[in-house]
Amino acid sequence: MTQISERPPISVVSAWWGLIRCFPGLYALTTALRIFIFVGVFQANGLIIRYYFDSLTGSAPLAWGPNAWAAVVLAVALLRNGLIFTDMYVFFRWTFSTAATMRKNLLEHILSMPGARSLPSSTSEAISRFREDADEVGNFTVWALFLLATGGFGVVALFTMARINLRVTVFAFLPLLIVVAVANLARVRVQQYREANRFAAGNVAGFIGEMFEHVQAVQVANAEESMLGHFEELNESRRKNALRDRLFNEVLNSTFHNVVNIGMGLILLLVGSALRDGSFTIGDFSLFAYYLTFVTNMISTIGTFFARWKQAGVSIGRMERLLQGAQPSALVRKTPIYLSGAFPSTQDVSPVQAKPLHTLSVSGLTYRFPGSEKGIVSVDLRLERGSFTVVTGRIGAGKSTLLRVLLGLLPAETGEIQWNGRRIDEPATFFVPPVSAYISQTPSLFSESLRENILLGLEADDAEVAQAVRAAALDTDLEQLENGLETVVGPRGVKLSGGQRQRAAAARMFIRQTELLVCDDLSSALDVETEQQLWERLFARQDATYLVVSHRRRLLQRADQIVVLKSGRVEDAGRLEPLLERCAEMRSLWEGRGSDGAE
Amino acid sequence: MRPSLQLYVRLLTRYLRPQLGQTLLLLFVLCINILLQLTNPLIMRRFLDSAMAGGSMELLTRLALLFIGIAAVQQVAAVSSTVLAENVGWRATNALRRDLARHCLHLDLTFHQQRTPGEMIERIDGDIDALTRFFAQLVVQLFGNGLLLIGVMVVLLREDMRVGAAIGVFVVVTLLVLGRLRNLAVPHWQRSREASARFFGFVEERLAGTEDIRASNARVFTLFRFYQLLRTLWQTTIRAELLGFSMINIAWFLFSVGAAIAFVVGASLYFSGALTIGTVYLIFHYTNLISQPIERIAREFEQFQRAGAGIARIQELFATESRLAETPANAMEATPLPESGDAGQTGALAVEFEQVRFAYPMDAPPEEATSRNGKFTLDGFQLRLEPNEVLGLLGRTGSGKTTLARLLLRLYDVDSGRVLVAGRDVRQWPLQQLRAQVAMVTQNVQLFQASVRDNLTFFDRSVPDARIWEAIETLGLTEWYASLGEGLDAPLQIGSGGLSAGESQLVAFTRIFLRDPGVIVLDEASSLLDPATEAFLERAVARLLSNRTGILIAHRLSTVQRADRILILKNGEIREQGDRGALASDPTSHYYRLLQLGIEEMGAEELVG
Repeated sequence: MTQISERPPISVVSAWWGLIRCFPGLYALTTALRIFIFVGVFQANGLIIRYYFDSLTGSAPLAWGPNAWAAVVLAVALLRNGLIFTDMYVFFRWTFSTAATMRKNLLEHILSMPGARSLPSSTSEAISRFREDADEVGNFTVWALFLLATGGFGVVALFTMARINLRVTVFAFLPLLIVVAVANLARVRVQQYREANRFAAGNVAGFIGEMFEHVQAVQVANAEESMLGHFEELNESRRKNALRDRLFNEVLNSTFHNVVNIGMGLILLLVGSALRDGSFTIGDFSLFAYYLTFVTNMISTIGTFFARWKQAGVSIGRMERLLQGAQPSALVRKTPIYLSGAFPSTQDVSPVQAKPLHTLSVSGLTYRFPGSEKGIVSVDLRLERGSFTVVTGRIGAGKSTLLRVLLGLLPAETGEIQWNGRRIDEPATFFVPPVSAYISQTPSLFSESLRENILLGLEADDAEVAQAVRAAALDTDLEQLENGLETVVGPRGVKLSGGQRQRAAAARMFIRQTELLVCDDLSSALDVETEQQLWERLFARQDATYLVVSHRRRLLQRADQIVVLKSGRVEDAGRLEPLLERCAEMRSLWEGRGSDGAE
Repeated sequence: MRPSLQLYVRLLTRYLRPQLGQTLLLLFVLCINILLQLTNPLIMRRFLDSAMAGGSMELLTRLALLFIGIAAVQQVAAVSSTVLAENVGWRATNALRRDLARHCLHLDLTFHQQRTPGEMIERIDGDIDALTRFFAQLVVQLFGNGLLLIGVMVVLLREDMRVGAAIGVFVVVTLLVLGRLRNLAVPHWQRSREASARFFGFVEERLAGTEDIRASNARVFTLFRFYQLLRTLWQTTIRAELLGFSMINIAWFLFSVGAAIAFVVGASLYFSGALTIGTVYLIFHYTNLISQPIERIAREFEQFQRAGAGIARIQELFATESRLAETPANAMEATPLPESGDAGQTGALAVEFEQVRFAYPMDAPPEEATSRNGKFTLDGFQLRLEPNEVLGLLGRTGSGKTTLARLLLRLYDVDSGRVLVAGRDVRQWPLQQLRAQVAMVTQNVQLFQASVRDNLTFFDRSVPDARIWEAIETLGLTEWYASLGEGLDAPLQIGSGGLSAGESQLVAFTRIFLRDPGVIVLDEASSLLDPATEAFLERAVARLLSNRTGILIAHRLSTVQRADRILILKNGEIREQGDRGALASDPTSHYYRLLQLGIEEMGAEELVG
């Protein structure tokens, strides 16, 4: 978190400018269209209405017959609709593109962070940055335009009215402007009520979630009615909050809308004598009435604009936190989003030239989780080609952390990693296929076909996939899936068990034919036999080098080297027999006293 | 959506009846609001005509002031009607929410295991939210706006039949056109929402899986899929947006047609001397006035349909029945409870499994039914526990230990055979009473994001603090609870960094102790405990089991020391059982070997399994 405070956050204006630079043509076009619609077409509409009434009463020369009037009104309407429709397309394209640009920049950056620490907070929080905050900033830029357009209209309107009758303009519009402006200030309160309302609504939804997540406990405890009692309290609190929010909003909204009616009344009050003596025509009256709506709208737009401005600032700040210390302007960096045209390549151009592994050595590797002493401290490790190394230790000894730091999925604080004697500066970009492959304890499957989950963009033919599936001991499971490899798995598809997920990840590993195979504890989700089967197939590859976490006796017996971790440090290392003789921790783990069988 | 009309009516009457007063008041205010909206333009007409005819200034001023006054009162009426409608809507739907939540809470676990909590939130809150808007807006928008339209028609017809007829035709045609067009965009919105769900689902999953993406070198591929989904989202969204916007655009054009009609009719009748200039303005004004109600009504019809989909889903949920059929009242009387089993009466109860055969339903999730493939988890299982007896249950994962507990609590029903508590089939017990008598502590204790008190009492505020403290004290946990912070009101820290598995069980013990059941099933936490928690647990388990029948699903051999009898399960069958003391001293028993090796669960699994 410390990196963030070092950089000044990007301001709303520079984010705005950054987005304009991404799509200057779109923004210019939508600006031009809006101004023309408001200042040109909407003004013309008002003037036509005025001319119509004036020509009826004889205040203006009778130019056209009734049917011609209708034709003029419809022609203006057609022009207006055509322009607005065009504007809408440009507007949607602009808001979609700007939000997409921010989303892509965020995703690309997150994917470049150390894999196991890519998000500063929970996924669900991150996703609301992607979802709402990106939209918020995109929409803000459009409100700015709207303000510009209505502002332009308002200025022209006030100028026109002042020329017709200055007194009425000042006395009828000024109080209204003040009322609307004051009401606008009260919008701050609206925000408060809205927050309270959202909070109460969140409580209701949250409680439903908890109630049904823990439904077994509730049923077993016979607690249905007391839970419902609390649910009703939360519902009631939401009703009150919603009502208060609604009342306040309604008062404000009706102030904006009904102020038009009261304004009409004020105009009536002021123009009586002028109407009688003909210095103020019915047409003038109709024009004033027409303007009323627009001018009050304009004032309320100003209020909305500033509220949006503030909101956009908050959203930008939140999205920047996801960037974890990158240049703030990275959020609005110009980048292709491929809404049309050909897509780019699917293949990583791997910078790594896979030299066969002879030795992999690690010295002084240290990583501590932020704000805690947990982690690994000065770990030394040496893997020879074709060797089998098992890392073991109690819960929290740092086994998984060691693997992750080695692979660059967590950033090492100190220490050096050497591949065949050559120093590796960026393990995260080096330790990827074809150099190494990794199965985590809880591998993620995505909601795609099983095939795509295994390949993840790799090009391979059916035979290769089938072979990897067999090697991962996943072939029997595959037979039970309705569509075989094309079955959609993951959160939105068929839910696989933890063991099946691990074996799918193993297939991911097999198909990549890497030099180094890194594998976290598989025992938590696999039963003994399946795990055994998997290991046998893994060992079938003679030339590969293995680094695995386990406390299974069979693997410990087989290991060329066991690394015993205790509180983040290497307690001892060697083959099983000598370790059992000289290392108390190893004995304790072997006998299962301190083992984390439930892990 | 036709058949749901009956549902609307049934829902409306059922949930609006308790608020008849409020609803009537709402209708009254609504009518006032409409009357005032109709009146004011008439006053303006009078003003304009008087002014043109050179009427007195006094009259003009009075009319102007009247206009302002009516506008102000109308504003109050408008605000009141909206707020009243909102209130009625919330009250009605809160009652519906409660009823639906109650219904779902009583459904069996098979139902819940197929649904995520998120889905339940969507069903109970999301669907009903659409209904809230429906309740609140239906009255104001459909009814109120409809009335306003009719009012305008009536006034115009009275002014001049020709004007009324022209505007009337316009209104009807516009409503028909808009009503028909509305549905055009709906399937496109559906597609756009699906694309959006897919897109954000993609992002969410990838954000959760960065480790795998990095380690598999799939960054570029991930971005490539991102572009693909983004384009689909763009194509579906722009189509839906533009189509949706076309509807608005057409509506605007139709209103311009309305204005043109008003111009033509107004001008011709004015020149023929049938109308005053004030009336021409009145017609123009009314035509503007009705454009909003027309748009709203057309939009509300869509809302109406959306609410219809919600109502259908709600109805479906209400129609779902628990697989555990409640005991009919007469059956209860047929087999009276043994004297020890009186509800509320404490005392240990006997437990018996009689030729039990059970397989998890095919739709149970995989982690639940560890051995499926059509096999029975239990087949011909037989076991009897005397009151006060404590059984230690051992066996590897999937051997059927937890299944026994679930059947005892009647979370599932047996396929054949019987499970008896206090000599009575659990299916003959009223569910409420059974679960008052049989309590279970699961391995993963389910805790709420709430205070210590609410966690202990399940939000039952009627439990006095004194009783809670008494339970805590009896269990010997006073010191431990003191360590949590400000007494019972302290929020319980759950999740990472909060209570450990062992500590959560302490909370669960207190929950159970408060309820004072006759049978306790304890599925011990299997993770390592720190010595302090271990000591608290030991003490609390001892107190909890005193004068109760107990089943201990043990993960540590030290816990089983407390049992009178040991039972080792394998694949749903009894591999070994007997008096603990006898087994412990019999060198040929499995239990003896386990003790000798001092092996705890992991080793034990390999040995037993």
